[in-house]
Amino acid sequence: MAPTFKLRCHFILICLMALRGESRYLELREAVDQDPFLLFSANLKRELAGGQLYRRALRCLDMLSLQGQFTFTADRPQLHCAAFFIAEPEEFITIHYDLVSIDCEGGDFLKVFDGWILKGEKFPSSQDHPLPTTERYIDFCESGLSRRSIRSSQNVAMVFFRVHEPGNGFTLTIKTDPNLFPCNVISQTPNGRFTLVVPHQHRNCSFSIIYPVVIKISDLTLGHLNGLQLKLHLTKYLIDRAKSSTGCGGIGDFVELLGGTGLDPSKMTPLADLCYPFRGPAQMKIGCDNTVVRLVSSGKHINRVTFEYRQLEPYEMENPSGNSIQEFCLSSL
Amino acid sequence: MRLPLLLSAGVLLVALLPCPPCRALLSRGPVLGARQASQHPQPLDFFQPPPQPQQPQQPQARPVLLRLGEEYFLRLGNLNKSPAAPLSPASSPLAGSRLSPDEVAANFFRALLQQLPLSRRPLDSPEQPAERGAENALGGRQEAPERERRSEEPPISLDLTFHLLREVLEMARAEQLAQQAHSNRKLMEIIGK
Repeated sequence: MAPTFKLRCHFILICLMALRGESRYLELREAVDQDPFLLFSANLKRELAGGQLYRRALRCLDMLSLQGQFTFTADRPQLHCAAFFIAEPEEFITIHYDLVSIDCEGGDFLKVFDGWILKGEKFPSSQDHPLPTTERYIDFCESGLSRRSIRSSQNVAMVFFRVHEPGNGFTLTIKTDPNLFPCNVISQTPNGRFTLVVPHQHRNCSFSIIYPVVIKISDLTLGHLNGLQLKLHLTKYLIDRAKSSTGCGGIGDFVELLGGTGLDPSKMTPLADLCYPFRGPAQMKIGCDNTVVRLVSSGKHINRVTFEYRQLEPYEMENPSGNSIQEFCLSSL
Repeated sequence: MRLPLLLSAGVLLVALLPCPPCRALLSRGPVLGARQASQHPQPLDFFQPPPQPQQPQQPQARPVLLRLGEEYFLRLGNLNKSPAAPLSPASSPLAGSRLSPDEVAANFFRALLQQLPLSRRPLDSPEQPAERGAENALGGRQEAPERERRSEEPPISLDLTFHLLREVLEMARAEQLAQQAHSNRKLMEIIGK
């Protein structure tokens, strides 16, 4: 064999090995999700960018899913307020203090929480978040403007605040930054499609849908195994409660489906474990207030799971058919 | 001979008899346990302007009771005052909010009062000036145990049902779509120039 031919073969083999799984890959967005402004010239972009910052007043109880500048001004003592922030799954949230006028000594506070916390339950759970709970609260009265910009670890964050004096308040600017490998996500919508990728990271990632849904897992890649065997465990809550809470026997990387009535995935009921890679849809109806797809990764492999979900219609919840696990969450309906 | 014997027996009996104040404190045990089960002492719910000085023993017993929040709470309940006194308008949350229903405000307020921050900072100032005065009366010796208890207390949280969370989420989505439509309209206007 000629040396040049050998060299070409070796080069091709190296490229094939690199593309098989060792390289990182990104899921391209569909055309409709592309930024339309990319098509235009710099002048046009500048014209469009000018004055684009969205502004409005922040309410005592509020939810924000877009970037902009938000101002809260107390017209009366507002003692128990919170604002939720949620971005796209592939985005971080950055909260920037533009102006803060509160009386910390007088009992006012302004705290940013890295995640969402509802009825004492946190998302991401304590197990899945890199910081301990106390460090997830950033108190303006303690840190001041030394931490003027705070970036979340996932696509959700929230702020708690209390203002006694009318006229006091604060202004925040909310921006989003791209997150290349989103790990913990709360879906903004009850319908959608997502691919969760954990590349050589020893971490557990959860995708939360706060609706009863039909979830269809179309592709699961766990490590380098190309086995065609599908092992699906349908775990009954009452039967397996006494068993180890770790899915798939705690061996290897796996995906688990969780259902529950709270926000914290660690307090939800495991409904199914997916222990082996497969292609082809596996569909499940989960009639719980909150459905979570959780990917447990050891860090030894590149794991990927693709799934679609849509909201369960009321008639579907009344008349279950096919694969469905609803008896666990009937009390919440 | 018998008289000294009787006298010493009487003295011994008096010394060994349990005193009424101790008995009263002991009787709070079960209720205290019940309060502990909830893990959420709610002194803030029941901080009211100081009661009328109608019980002379109260100032003497107060430091002991105030040292333990639950006992202070129980003592107010035992005074036959309404423990669930209506909250002042200043402390009721979202009273003027146009977008939040009353039940959200009620749940929100109740939950936030039940939750306390993990921060080791001194106690957050209560809603009422009288509460501040009551808290100042506690004295500095209570700050250290209060701070230690605070670090163990559950984090500040929000008591909102999933239904309401979805409602506000859908409102936020509608706002986002409206803003996107506005941006698209501006874009079309610019392109049309």
